[in-house]
Amino acid sequence: MRNLDTPKANTWCPACGNFGILNAVKAGFKQLFDQGLDPAKLMITCGIGCHGKIFDYLNISGIYGLHGRAVATASGIKLANPELTVVSFGGDGDSLGEGLEHTLFAAKRNLDMTLILHNNGNYGLTTGQFSPLSPIGFRGLSTPQGSAEQPFDAIPLLLAAGASFVARSYSANPKHLAEILVKAVMHRGFSFIEVLQPCVSYNNTYQYYNSRIKMLDQIPSDVYEAMRLAKDKDHSYLGIYQAEKRDLFEDLSSGFANPVKESPAFRERIETLRTMYK
Amino acid sequence: MRPDTYTVLIGGKAGEGVKKLAQVIAATGLQLGLHSFQMDDYQSLIKGGHNYSLVSFSPIVIHNAYHKADLIICLDELSYTQHLNDLADGGFIYYNSSEQTHQQGIGIELSKLMKEHYKNPSNPSLGGLAIFCAHLGLDNELMLRIIKISYKKNIEENLSFASQVYSLIQAQSKLPDAISQAPGLHLFSGNQCIGLGAWAAGLDTYFAYPMTPASSLLHFLASMSAKLGVKAIHAESELAAANMAVGAVVGGAKAAVGSSGGGFALMQEAFSLAGISEAPLLCVLSSRPGPATGVSTYTAQEDLLFALNQGHGEFSRIVASPDTMERAFSLATELLSLAWEFQIPVILLTEKHLSESAQSIRLPLGDACEATGLIHDALEPYNRYQITDSGISPMLFPPSEEIIKWNSHEHLESGLRTDQAAAMVAMKDKRDRKREHIALACARYPRIAVYGSGSRRIFAYGSTALEIREALQNLDDSYQLIVPIYLEPLPVDQLLPYTDSPALVIEHNSQPRFATFLKEKIGLETRQNILKYDGRAWDPLVLATKIKEAFDA
Repeated sequence: MRNLDTPKANTWCPACGNFGILNAVKAGFKQLFDQGLDPAKLMITCGIGCHGKIFDYLNISGIYGLHGRAVATASGIKLANPELTVVSFGGDGDSLGEGLEHTLFAAKRNLDMTLILHNNGNYGLTTGQFSPLSPIGFRGLSTPQGSAEQPFDAIPLLLAAGASFVARSYSANPKHLAEILVKAVMHRGFSFIEVLQPCVSYNNTYQYYNSRIKMLDQIPSDVYEAMRLAKDKDHSYLGIYQAEKRDLFEDLSSGFANPVKESPAFRERIETLRTMYK
Repeated sequence: MRPDTYTVLIGGKAGEGVKKLAQVIAATGLQLGLHSFQMDDYQSLIKGGHNYSLVSFSPIVIHNAYHKADLIICLDELSYTQHLNDLADGGFIYYNSSEQTHQQGIGIELSKLMKEHYKNPSNPSLGGLAIFCAHLGLDNELMLRIIKISYKKNIEENLSFASQVYSLIQAQSKLPDAISQAPGLHLFSGNQCIGLGAWAAGLDTYFAYPMTPASSLLHFLASMSAKLGVKAIHAESELAAANMAVGAVVGGAKAAVGSSGGGFALMQEAFSLAGISEAPLLCVLSSRPGPATGVSTYTAQEDLLFALNQGHGEFSRIVASPDTMERAFSLATELLSLAWEFQIPVILLTEKHLSESAQSIRLPLGDACEATGLIHDALEPYNRYQITDSGISPMLFPPSEEIIKWNSHEHLESGLRTDQAAAMVAMKDKRDRKREHIALACARYPRIAVYGSGSRRIFAYGSTALEIREALQNLDDSYQLIVPIYLEPLPVDQLLPYTDSPALVIEHNSQPRFATFLKEKIGLETRQNILKYDGRAWDPLVLATKIKEAFDA
């Protein structure tokens, strides 16, 4: 069994929600390895921000990419070699701010990969500015009088974009998150997990979430019901909002099914051109 | 002096099939053993407006289209008024007399005849082909065969329409005689050459967002995806395309991106990502007049310094620009190969004039080289950024039991992030050590091209060399054209012998940017600049006069 720890010293704030996510991810990956996922085929990507440090704390191959672009980089890995299992980590500023386009398009394309959204409701590493998911009135360094923008709701947004697997979990419930991660990775298609994550330094939401979290009884019957539950005023429902079978981009797109494995040898390429342009 | 050329100009509205007709006419010349060069002048609109194409034929290699036409075919009235002055001495102009009649030229009622032969509204371009074939006395059977091969829809209607137009026209001119049948010649656009070159070297994936004049590279590779297996992805933006490409490299694929200046600007951060993460990446930058949106469908060389300085931060890159269609192919193979040898981003800099013009050439398959990288041999534990004397760290691709960590942050050998002073210096030094090896490796390939041996020296780069070489075919042999192909690293030693007298520098810029670059790098004194910045390529005859005047003065 692969040891998932690295020698890198952890620099998250004490009690940061990211610890719960890291533990859950390790537990989830171990369960997946037990179920037959080959660690040699697992790849991770992340953007820049507190969430991105998870790249240094996981002994897994991948790329620590640019801010906002983790999903695009992950898409490239998957397109190159669809045999790989690709899991991407993003912050709310990263995946729904700077990189919103990639998140929505990944959902639209339905590449078989997983995005874990570390939703701490603000920009932590850059010292607490409002994020696309911060509530209106959020006071941060860039909005000292309070943010004047309505926040996105991550789950309705991803449902509307066509994500085929959509779920919500909570960093303070790593057991639940690990279970969701296993299901998301097993799902064939684009999987999105919103992880509610307190930021102890700038947006401490532990009490807020602890008082309102509830579990979904079952997968909502349709997308409208899913959106209604995701936006519920009184409760933050955890669980799976959508799990639908849809055609995969990698199956529908033209060219080799696996560009890396099927890549023709140099001599073969030259011969092909010689024949085509006699 | 060059033997006779013959130039055809076809004008019409967008959507009337002008460009396609020009391709078919160029291909017809090819079948007759003639060399050809096709240039399309089109506007950024879908239907209407005015498009025209020039096709010049010659019994020997022809590097550029001529602007004065021996035969002008006007599919619409606007083409007649726009191009009457482009008629060469003794030339013929045909026009669509269903729209209007004129004193000069030969009217054919193309619109009226079209209605008689087609059930549904069609475009008149088949009539243009019939005019070309009949006017030049080409065999009716040859024309019918070409139509069947080139136009797959409405075959019966096409044949009857073209046959009737053909029957109305007397043969009045002749194409130059072919010297010999030239086997293996095919009509390729520059972008096709670039795409095929990159694929030959090992390209697996191409990522782009449409932007003229690079779009046709995306279109071409997408059209070849079923045949060649190459994956051509139209991403949500240039940002996505460039980051996907880096991801594809991490996944083990050979990847390229392409755009014009504006889109390339959006790829800059990912270009730097390729720099620090040491991701081999071929970037095709096909210039059009800028800045910003500029002029979409015309040519320019304004992005020279932008290409040389692409990306933020310090890292090595290679920038090179093809001076011929053949070189577009071989250079694409070289650049993908160098990208993989040194794990760096490289730029193939070109312009609309090369990207979208087409020439009859033989693909130089023998010049192709393979893109391969140094791969970890798995005996010792893997470190993506192992410190080595050459600066090159072995690569490894998944699936692997080893941990392969690429990083956009500064990093340790393991690929884990660092901000420690000594580790930063060690990694920057490692990357920088590649620099001298890159310069040596580029020396394996032709880094400059020298045409002619006269004492009147001209410097240019990129597709401007096509225009100048054709201009020089119309002058005596007192000229010499020097073309740096590799611009970064610039082969200074190779260029210095040509700097002993002031030279004429020709470029498609409003300011002498290339001349200033040469002055700074090799101390070249400029005798005169010829600058053109109206987006149009030169007419070789006009350029020849300018060149001669520059030296006679």
